[in-house]
This record gives sequence, structure tokens and C-alpha cells, in this order.
Amino acid sequence: MVQVTFVDVNGVERQVDGGSGDQSLMELAKANGIDGIAADCGGACSCATCLVHIDPDWVERTGQPDDIEFAMLDMVADVATASSRLACQIRLTDALDGLRVVVAQQ
Amino acid sequence: MTNVAERDLLATGSMTDPLISARPRDFYAAMRRDDPIHWDEKLGMYLVSRYEDIATIQQDPITFSVNKGYHTQQAKGFQQEFQEILEREGGGYFPDAIMSDPPYHTRIRKLMEKAFTAHRVKALEPRIEKVVVDLIDSVAARGEADAIHDFAVPLTVRIICEQLGLDWDMKDRIQRWSIAVTAQIGRMQDREQMLGHAREICDLQHYLIAKMKERQADPREDMISDLVHARDADGEGLSFAEAVSLVRALLIAGNETTATALGNLFYILATRPEIATLLQDSADDDRLMNRFVEELLRIEPPVRGLSRMTTKEVELGGRTLPAGAHLLLMYASANDQEDVFPQPRDFDLNRPNIGRHLSFGGGVHRCVGLALARMEIKVAAREIVKRIGNIELAIDEADIRYLPTVATQSIERLPIRFTRRG
Repeated sequence: MVQVTFVDVNGVERQVDGGSGDQSLMELAKANGIDGIAADCGGACSCATCLVHIDPDWVERTGQPDDIEFAMLDMVADVATASSRLACQIRLTDALDGLRVVVAQQ
Repeated sequence: MTNVAERDLLATGSMTDPLISARPRDFYAAMRRDDPIHWDEKLGMYLVSRYEDIATIQQDPITFSVNKGYHTQQAKGFQQEFQEILEREGGGYFPDAIMSDPPYHTRIRKLMEKAFTAHRVKALEPRIEKVVVDLIDSVAARGEADAIHDFAVPLTVRIICEQLGLDWDMKDRIQRWSIAVTAQIGRMQDREQMLGHAREICDLQHYLIAKMKERQADPREDMISDLVHARDADGEGLSFAEAVSLVRALLIAGNETTATALGNLFYILATRPEIATLLQDSADDDRLMNRFVEELLRIEPPVRGLSRMTTKEVELGGRTLPAGAHLLLMYASANDQEDVFPQPRDFDLNRPNIGRHLSFGGGVHRCVGLALARMEIKVAAREIVKRIGNIELAIDEADIRYLPTVATQSIERLPIRFTRRG
């Protein structure tokens, strides 16, 4: 079981437990109704509406975006930073237990 | 424009006026400034022109129904006759399953999404690049061409045929079908045109139904097979009527809109030589090319107006709309809004918010094929600027004509001259 802390667009902090099986950070946020995670494209890495800022302590473990994800991050450079990721592109593994992310203001 | 001219334009203008429809930017600007939710009497719709109001609508797909908006728009004025023709001669009238509201829409949408992820689309790139290169090479030495009929249309038809597993020699029929289907939400066809279009749609449906039955019995690696055999998380498939409507939607939406975008690509290369030069110098800079595609879509959106209908009384943009108000979301106007995109008519590849245009819509109805569309346009732009240069219009810009429809702004034909490169 993976526990994740989201700070939603209203600044409200919530800890939620990951489901069993293969799940993305976006799917976990949607399943728990985290405000500010719209995920219009359904996880296709095509819309940048599940943008989160990864807590600095976790950036190394969540890893770097690939070139397709980078292209999407670059299109919302008005809010994306070096530690931003698309939640749909982060698979929740045991190594991410305790992850903390801030949902981007869009 | 002067205030008086703007007021006159708002008082008498309509999106159905061919002159306004072809060159609508003054009309959009007047609406955004003076009457952001503008009642278009001739169209019988409210035109929603500001970015923030369209964004509000996109976030509330229950209050602002696509199902009611789209199906009210379809064949408006001749609806019953249109549906009867399809029932009688076209194998059935199949409402568009994707043009629906949650929660029904959520299930349909999920079944479509899997085919279209950016990573799956990336895997298609080499094949699409080959199609693009072959087509450019076939016209490069001629020095002149119609960018629409010699390039944009054959390219998108060939790609969607490969995706769906259809026969490439259907090119001309597919283009006729595309025009016939999109005309149903265009609001600018008369009865005689509707009858002609309805017959084309009957022909389209018979063709698709036969293909789908083949794939039901004998699945292959294509999207028709994927859809007729699709199962959701509960193991439920699509009904045959739903599947027909979705295959039809994929064929048309994936064709007409992308062809329009490719026509616009040539238009920009021909009329903004500084952009053409920049692309030539940077064709292998993937970041720049991605940004170019977004700015092209923002500045010349193929889809400019799609419908919604209110399901209850609601406040929007300082106006109270009754239940049953029919709305046209003017994406092209929102993309031109100065406080969102400063100097909106500048083709600016450095915009920090370059991906925030509304050309793919937004919310749960955001275009499902957007990654494929972006990739097709990017590959086309890259390979065109590598192979031909000095692109210029072979007609006066003022003589460019557009298809008669409020839904898209599609150039009818675009004669160009160019020289071969390399």
C-alpha cells in the first residue's frame, strides 16, 4: 500500500492510500476527488490537466519526464517548474510510499 | 473598428453570413468586448466568445449538455426528414455515442482513449512520416499545387484509412462523406444540399457496416476491429449502433479537421515567410516544432464552434440563460483573447502558455485524437520545410474561400507555388 499526500488547488492537504494493482498518481487523485486534477485526456499524456509539483525530497524517486511528457510540460510553461510532472505519467510503486505533491494552479 | 461599426456588426451580423463566416475576427472582437454571450438571431444560438466563459462550460458537462447541443444542431431545420432518410436508406439513424453526457459518456470515452495515447501515437510516427514524404515528393518537382486537394486531404485520408483498416482507393468517397457529415453541424446547408448529404451518409454507413461485420468475424490490427471487440472494465462491449457511430466519428473527425489544419499549415508557410525560414533552420528541433504546432492551432483553429445546450437556468458571463439555451462555443474567438494571449495575431513561438488554446476543446469532451493530430501536423511541417521552399500563395489572399459551415473554418482550395529544396 502506497500513501500519498496531495495539496489540492485550494491549498487543502490530504493523505490518501493507493489502491491495489497498477495505478498512476493521476488515477489515485481522481479516485479520491483531489481538486485541480482534471485529467481531461484520461491519462494519454496529451493535455497537461493533471499537472503537479513534486516535493523536492521526492524528485529523484519520481524520476524525469520522457520527451513526450516534456513536450506537454513545455506547453504550460506559465505554471510548470523544473519539479513539475504529469500525474498520469507517474506509476505508484512501493518506492513512492510517502510521496508529497502540490497540485498546480491552472 | 469604431464603436459604431462594432455596434452595427453586433446588431446585424450572424455567423451564417458568408462574409462574416469567412472573415470573422472583427465579429469575434466585437462580441468579446461588448456582448460576450451574444444572441445570434439567424442561427438561433448564443455565441460564447470569451475564454473564461468557455472554460466554465467545459468544466460542467451536466449543465452544458453536448448530447442536447450536438443533436439539436444536427441537420437543424430538416431533422426529422434527415433521420428518416438514414433509417430508410442508410441502415439506421445512429446517434453519436461520443456526443453524449456523463456518466454514459465516461464509459464510451474510456473505450476510445486507449487507442490514442501519446505514446501509442509516437509508435505510428515512422509510418506517417513515410506517407508524408511520398506525398510531398510526388508534387515537389511541379512547383505548384493545391495544398488542400493535392496534399492535406489525401494525406489525412491515407492515415485514417491505415488506422481504421479501410481501403485507400476510397479517397474521393471519404472526402465527400466527410463534407456530408460535417455539414450536419454547419448550419449552412439548404434542403437540397441536406438531401445530397444524407445520401452520402447512407453510402458511408453501408460501407462501414459491411467493414464492421467483416471485422466482427475476422479481427485484424486496426481500430475498427478494436471498437467492435472493445470491452470495458466490466466486460461489456458496445452495441452495434454505438460502434457504427464511433467508427463514423473517427473516420470523419480524424479526417476533416486534420486536413483543415494541414491547409492552414500551408497558409501560414505561404503568408509568414519568417516562420517558414525559422522552421527550415530548426526542422529537427523537436521542442520548437511542438510549439509551432500549438501556435498554428491557436492562431488558425480548424474547429471554431461546437454546441452545448443548457439543462437548467444558469448564470454565464453576466447573463442569465434559460434551460434549453442552445450555445455555440467560439473557440477561435477565445484563442484571440488579448488578456490570455497578448498580441494574439502575432505568431509567437515563445508564449509561456502556448498549450492553453481551446482548439481541442477542454474538459471531458477534449478531442480524443489530439495526440495523433499534433503528430500528423508536426511531421507534415517538418518534412514540408525540408523538401520545398519559397512557398507562396498563387491566388490573392482575399480570394481564399471557406467551406460554408459555422463549425469549422476550412479553406476550400489553396493554390500555392514553391521551389524544390535539397
